[in-house]
Amino acid sequence: MQQPESVRPLITERHHPTGDTHERRPRETEEGNPFTFSPQLIHLHKDHELFEDGDITRHMYLQDLYISEADDKPTLSVSEFACHISGCSAVFSTLEEYEHHYNSLHRHVCCSCRRSLPSARLLDIHIQEWHDSLFAILAQRQDMYQCLVEGCGQKFRTSKLRKDHLIRLHKYPPDFRFDKTKKDRGTRETKRQQQKDTAMEVADDVCESEGVCEVMCDVLSNQLEHGESMETHVSQEEARMAKSDSTEEHADLSAAAHGAGNTSTESTKPRYSYRVPTSVCFGHGSVRGFRGRRGRRK
Amino acid sequence: MWRLNKVRHKAAGRHGDSLEELKLKRREHERALRQARRDRQLVSKRLLLNEDEDQPEVTMDTNSGEQDVVSLFHKLQQTGSEREARLKALSKALRDPSAQLAFIKQENSMHLLVGFLTGSDATCRLQAVRCLHELSHSPHTNVAPACLPATPYLLTYLSGQSTKFTELCLYTLGNLCPESDVVKEKLLAQGIIPALANCIENQRHNLAVVEAVGFTLSQLLQAKDAAEKIIPMVLASSLPSHLLSVLTPDPDFGLAPAIECAWCLHYLTCSTEDNRVLLAHGALLKCSSLLVSLGAAVAEGNKEEGMELLICPLLRCVGNLLSSCPVEDLSTQVGDVHIVVALCALLQAYLQTQPALARESAWVLNNLTAYSSALCSALLTFNLVPGLIQLLPFSQGINTMILRALANIAHKKKEFCVQLAHLGLLSALCATLKMADQEMVTLSMDVLFMLVVSGPQVAEEFVRQGGLSLLEAIQYNSKGDIRRRATHLLEHHLLSYSVVKTYLLNL
Repeated sequence: MQQPESVRPLITERHHPTGDTHERRPRETEEGNPFTFSPQLIHLHKDHELFEDGDITRHMYLQDLYISEADDKPTLSVSEFACHISGCSAVFSTLEEYEHHYNSLHRHVCCSCRRSLPSARLLDIHIQEWHDSLFAILAQRQDMYQCLVEGCGQKFRTSKLRKDHLIRLHKYPPDFRFDKTKKDRGTRETKRQQQKDTAMEVADDVCESEGVCEVMCDVLSNQLEHGESMETHVSQEEARMAKSDSTEEHADLSAAAHGAGNTSTESTKPRYSYRVPTSVCFGHGSVRGFRGRRGRRK
Repeated sequence: MWRLNKVRHKAAGRHGDSLEELKLKRREHERALRQARRDRQLVSKRLLLNEDEDQPEVTMDTNSGEQDVVSLFHKLQQTGSEREARLKALSKALRDPSAQLAFIKQENSMHLLVGFLTGSDATCRLQAVRCLHELSHSPHTNVAPACLPATPYLLTYLSGQSTKFTELCLYTLGNLCPESDVVKEKLLAQGIIPALANCIENQRHNLAVVEAVGFTLSQLLQAKDAAEKIIPMVLASSLPSHLLSVLTPDPDFGLAPAIECAWCLHYLTCSTEDNRVLLAHGALLKCSSLLVSLGAAVAEGNKEEGMELLICPLLRCVGNLLSSCPVEDLSTQVGDVHIVVALCALLQAYLQTQPALARESAWVLNNLTAYSSALCSALLTFNLVPGLIQLLPFSQGINTMILRALANIAHKKKEFCVQLAHLGLLSALCATLKMADQEMVTLSMDVLFMLVVSGPQVAEEFVRQGGLSLLEAIQYNSKGDIRRRATHLLEHHLLSYSVVKTYLLNL
């Protein structure tokens, strides 16, 4: 937008004006400080872009074309907002639109498969059913598939049974986008997946103080697991193939979970966390799916 | 002398143009000027109208114009008693561009004019210079250089006493200046700068002439290579002090002379980064005190017509002079700390109508606050910060400059940071961090850092406002240097146990 200005090279004297009693900031000595701001005098040369409008007005005046009331009100523009999440290029004209976008798409994201869920509860259910190999094992012996409707509380042996329940009792449409196994995803889905892949690529430099995070997460997860109602509602996944039987599903699931589980247990740095419960879990890298269960190192 | 308020009204009835057509023409003209500026070819000429004229009348019939000129020329070559009338007719005919071309094609036409210019008949001299003036205003590139033989005389006449005549000489010279390098070289060699200096000195009381000198000088100073030759000569002359003394507008005569001189000073200050000569003349002091009074007038609603034509170059002078001013001299050179009040008043007043002027005001504010604790303190004392924070939504360079100024304040003292946080800068940053403009985001992170490290209260307040999840999100920013800033803040300054503990206890 702006041409590079001629920034006056700073002479050392200017940093320490005599007689001025302001404190010097010790920032410069701090190791690896990434903040670069320092006050700068800006000298603008004659042809600088910033001077364009004023020059035009001046010459309009010289040529007897000046009028004090502008014909058209020059447009004063307001800054746009943009989602800066890596790979997301959405732009918004108001802060509210931005917040809506962010809260809808970037808050509840599964670390492993990078899928975005509309709510924390659905994210939890998703992680549990898709990326937890323990779930697969338990599901062989007991009803593990939760009803997606908040407060219903019923559980089912297979996802199909849950789906039937949702349609019959809770009046969900039959073509509602239920969980779909990975292999069922068509090209459409893979395209979306690719997008999300790039979206979630984040440098490893992000997660460093994992230790701190784990400690805090410990503290908080204990608090949370007692009665904090987290909304879970598995969402946009597409309907599973009606015919796949439970063992196949479980095999798929466990394979998927196993695969995911391997990568997650092997990686010493969990990649990132979008799963931030309504209370705080700060510190990057709190991987929700593995907190409080196996995979978290004690 | 230029009558600002008269320009529009008459033009409305001209040639049956509707208001819409006029608007269109004006917009086209503006577009052409912008393109010319981009090509570094922004040049304007001025036409001094006759006493009986209100606006430039151009005859539509070019053929007869050309014929008139040729026949008048032939008649003037003969001796006779009708010379004054014929010269007057010639000057009128020369308003037409094709007639101008026809005239200079005639052999010895310039020789004839110079003869009248230097003759003993004063009326003929006046008419001759009027002819030259029309020629100097020509849009054709080979017409004006044809006037060169007359320039030594025009320069000599600058020390004369006839107002109208001197004005015409000046505007003619001013129109010739930007024509070509050859013309400029000749004029410089013929001593245009000392001539202008003498003229403005001797005619100080005559504001119409002063305005004309200012215009002509501004034409010289706008040249592309002015910094090499012209500007040093001007700085060495007595012109700077005269220009400064004219800056205060005369209430009766109007703004015009001050406007011209202010633009001269702008061209002087922006062409070089070393402005010690002008600083020694007290330019910064003069310009800033003038801005203080203009700002006060604007704040009260006294917006005289054309005021921004004066405010604009003054802002630029102050901005660029500041960048040359040693910090120790700031208090003497700037003088009145109320300059910050004036700047904020200008910002608010022109934000909607002339955003570019608001942007330039913000730039000056940055330069004022960069190295002066006193001026930063003044912004806080005069309670100007909330108003500045409210300007952070506005783009096109306004918010980045204002945020820089606020950052300058934060950079001075931790106490300032605390105050800034109290005044709402923290919550404003939570919004600016989400803007599309990367420069805003980076600046916002840096300011946030300064605020947060200023004290635990600020850090806690930030956490209370949901800052932690905001920073967590920023950790996934597409730009690495922004991610690092967020991580650094979280790790080193916000995850300290006291902050967390306080937060948890308050849950």
